[in-house]
Amino acid sequence: MSYAVLWVRDFALCAVRRSDPTLAGRPVALIQGEGRRATVVELSPEVVGVAPGLTAPLAMARCPGILLRLREPAAEGEANRLLLAAAFTLSPRVEFTAPGCVTVDLQGADAERTTLQMRKVVAELAPAGLPARIGVGATPHLAACAARRAEPVLAVRDAAAFLHALPLAFADPTPEQVEILGNWGIRTLGALTALPKADIGKRLGPEGLQLWERAAGEATRPLRLTQPAKSFAAEWTYEPPIEVMEPLLFRLRRFSECIALELRGEGFVAETLTLTLLLEDGTDQRREFRLPEPGGDVDGWMRVMQSHLEGVRTAVRVAGARLIAGPCRPPHKQAGLFETGLGDPAAFWENLARVGAVVGAHRLGTPVLLDTHRPDAFRLEKPAETVPPPAAATVHPPRGLVLRRFRPAWPAQVELRDERPVQVHSANLRGPVCTSSGPWRTSGEWWKPDGWVLEIWQVELAQGGVYQLAHWADGWCVEGEFD
Amino acid sequence: MSRPPLSVADLRQLLAARFPEKMGKPGGVVPTGVRAVDEALGGGLPAGRLTELVAAVPGSGGQSVLRRLLLSTRAARQRIALVDAADAFAPETVPPDALQHLVWVRCAGLDQTLAVADLLVRDGNYAAVIVDLCGCAERALRRTPATVWHRLHRAAQAGGAVLVKTPHPLVPAVTWRLVLATGHPLAARRLTPDAIADNLTVEIERGHAGVALERAG
Repeated sequence: MSYAVLWVRDFALCAVRRSDPTLAGRPVALIQGEGRRATVVELSPEVVGVAPGLTAPLAMARCPGILLRLREPAAEGEANRLLLAAAFTLSPRVEFTAPGCVTVDLQGADAERTTLQMRKVVAELAPAGLPARIGVGATPHLAACAARRAEPVLAVRDAAAFLHALPLAFADPTPEQVEILGNWGIRTLGALTALPKADIGKRLGPEGLQLWERAAGEATRPLRLTQPAKSFAAEWTYEPPIEVMEPLLFRLRRFSECIALELRGEGFVAETLTLTLLLEDGTDQRREFRLPEPGGDVDGWMRVMQSHLEGVRTAVRVAGARLIAGPCRPPHKQAGLFETGLGDPAAFWENLARVGAVVGAHRLGTPVLLDTHRPDAFRLEKPAETVPPPAAATVHPPRGLVLRRFRPAWPAQVELRDERPVQVHSANLRGPVCTSSGPWRTSGEWWKPDGWVLEIWQVELAQGGVYQLAHWADGWCVEGEFD
Repeated sequence: MSRPPLSVADLRQLLAARFPEKMGKPGGVVPTGVRAVDEALGGGLPAGRLTELVAAVPGSGGQSVLRRLLLSTRAARQRIALVDAADAFAPETVPPDALQHLVWVRCAGLDQTLAVADLLVRDGNYAAVIVDLCGCAERALRRTPATVWHRLHRAAQAGGAVLVKTPHPLVPAVTWRLVLATGHPLAARRLTPDAIADNLTVEIERGHAGVALERAG
């Protein structure tokens, strides 16, 4: 499980419908073009007898009562923002792929937890007017294909079996490729990948190879990551201005749903809400609500704002509304006044799991020194939930600059004069030694097969820099530099 | 006449005003333990912002600054993360007790380091996140697009202080840049870490963000 795609079918129509409460439950068609040449492009489920591509007059004749609407860029922008906010609750690595389509990098995410979270996201987006589907796959393209077949969440484990029966269109072929492959009798991805990849390359060129890789689920690409929300605010302009509260409350609920998701994606909840009514005469009415308990409960926010709005009277109509949420960290637990434990344990462990997936779970943790004099001997342990009180300072703290280790150490040849290093040669470092200090001899674990005997020198090179040399049984090496 | 009940937000503000050093609220500072740096930066590394530490020459004391930061945060019982691009941190150079609050991530290269930093800097559980880029290939560092740093700037706003240690000035639009340009000789091995840290020669450059921060605060 590496990528997820959140996809909304008929996205432009969904955006229009969610921005206008009067369209709920009614047959609606989205059209493009003007006049009698306007054609239907997207249809709501309530429409019968009409297919995309039909002209508007014909659609009105076939489906009495059908409502025709044009695309609304502002509504689409708001819907895209909601979809992105939902994606950021799954992972911080999110790409805005296309309107109504968002790709999420799930590298490191816990599969079971993320699947539950995805179902939760779908359940939250549906009442907000976005019937999203989520596909999960090993590559962004595979996840996108899965999203188009999801009901509502589909994780593809066996890519070959899943892709085999899909129509050729799922591999995004060009019209020329569709025509050529159609002449060959190829209609599905399985039929295409049954042909040798090299032969496809010879006949259709590099584009054909890319098509074959997409059909086989092998094509991958880096994501163009999107920034999370810059501020937790939303604004809408009414055209024409409004005189009653219902459209305002409807819009505020949409704002709240989006802002609450954006806050959650960043690990915040709202502490304050600032509602500004933009009036027709250019003035505004502003009110800040300090929530009794910081949280992300949209119903709670709406209760607070509705109570306020019921007492508001304005001399002129309302031309717009702006809602800004003041973020704060969620009060996950009742901590002591000076508690030094984790403020947000879920985020802490989830982030560490993701980091572990990036670097390897054995390469992160709290270092604990081993009870040995062998250099560089430590193990990594799971970090503690609470930072314990500090112990007394050590009696003999180490002196000098601090060592930075080269792992693995650099093999070197060291020239000695009077049993002291005078010249160092290694692949990354070479030069005459101007000052040296040592040797410090140490040994241990002689009773084991991997017992060790070691001689350590600290040397300052003529060109600058202080380094630690070690003379092991098998030769010299540069162990690190002092910084 | 009874007082109106306090809300949680009011109570938090009251506590933050009375115990600012204990609450560690966003917008505070994380002392480094290096006198010259803390004095110049108004108490320490600013939380929610990137500070760049440039170890311009070998032996300039960059690792000594990190060691002091580890000790300082340990004394305050704050959690700290070290994202180590070259896997160069030597735990034996720090007292064992001063490691208990550390989450050390041993990365293998710049790409891993930036991916891990992107995750950890937005985690509000850390008082400070150190991103040590020293030891990375020079060419890879130079080719890092500015958008990566911009993204890190944005992500850092949600968390604690972020200290990026680099071999040369690298991070654009940084709040503060601390440049260590004087190397230490081998004779410095006789000095105590406190003496070394107190005598570090630090050139402090203030970025546009630092100017804005100073005006605001």
